[in-house]
Amino acid sequence: MKTFKKNPPATTAFTLPEILIVCAVSAIFLGSAIMLFTNFRQGFSRSENVAVLLQESALFMARLRTDLNNAVLSGPGTGSFDQQIQALPDSLTFNVYSSRQGRINQVAYRLLPDAKGGSISRQEADQAERILIKNHVASLSWQMQLERFATPGSGTFRIGVGLDLQLKTSSGREKPFTIKTTMFPARLNRQLNNP
Amino acid sequence: MNNIRKNGLSLVEIILSMGILAMIMLPVFMTFSSGNANIQITESEFRAHTAALELMEQIISLPFNLIKAGSYDAAKIVDGGAFANSPILFRLSENPDLKPFLQVEEVKRGEKIVFKKITVKIAYPSARASGRMRDFTLKTLVANENI
Repeated sequence: MKTFKKNPPATTAFTLPEILIVCAVSAIFLGSAIMLFTNFRQGFSRSENVAVLLQESALFMARLRTDLNNAVLSGPGTGSFDQQIQALPDSLTFNVYSSRQGRINQVAYRLLPDAKGGSISRQEADQAERILIKNHVASLSWQMQLERFATPGSGTFRIGVGLDLQLKTSSGREKPFTIKTTMFPARLNRQLNNP
Repeated sequence: MNNIRKNGLSLVEIILSMGILAMIMLPVFMTFSSGNANIQITESEFRAHTAALELMEQIISLPFNLIKAGSYDAAKIVDGGAFANSPILFRLSENPDLKPFLQVEEVKRGEKIVFKKITVKIAYPSARASGRMRDFTLKTLVANENI
């Protein structure tokens, strides 16, 4: 009868303490990685929402600034200095010179309140109304400011549009983005002081 | 009797490999967090840009002869403060983190002032709770309309 000699047990596998230590180290490593990644995801989501608000507010303010730089004295609906820019709680209206059309147009910005968040639209003359900020406006106020400085002669006038805008993200969880500034329509101001 | 062979990885090898993996992953996560920091810088830069335009626009809105040459630092540029000791007042929105600077230079042709060069510089914090500041600068020329 052929007999086989039994081989001694080969130590090719991990021992239990080794496996336990590796599991513990892996758990610590994976836990840290998951925690870092979760924090990153939350931070990224917040930053992304803030970036959207920044983009929208930049677009709106650039558009309004361009229009105010093109604002002129003459045109329909003008009167005394304090009526050059008509600021109501839900609308801002003034006249601009359109070099493309070679005429003076009325531009109107409107605040469209909504329970989800307000919107801001812009309309020039009879063109289609365009939404600049959609459902992100938490609050908005605009005021026409007319100053008169006692300089030699008849004094110096300066018109400005004070803007206080607060935007909120769609989720509403992040801190609202607030921007407060005054825009000075340079061409209109030069016209006021050099009629 | 066969020789005893160790085919598996040792504990030291595994821990070392995980250490190397951690070192590789660390810059990846650092890249993620730097992306978030960049958004914060963009927000600060946007505020600085808005403040620079606010200051620039109110100066270029003035009649040419009232734009007085000189350098004006943050101590002089305050809301309601006088511009160049004149009746003209600064109008500035509240931005305590920003440090404005204004310079007006005359550009002459012969004896006549043909332009005034306006430089507005706004220093803003590069990150929250850090002392480092960055600059945003705007420059423009205002033409003398009276010549």
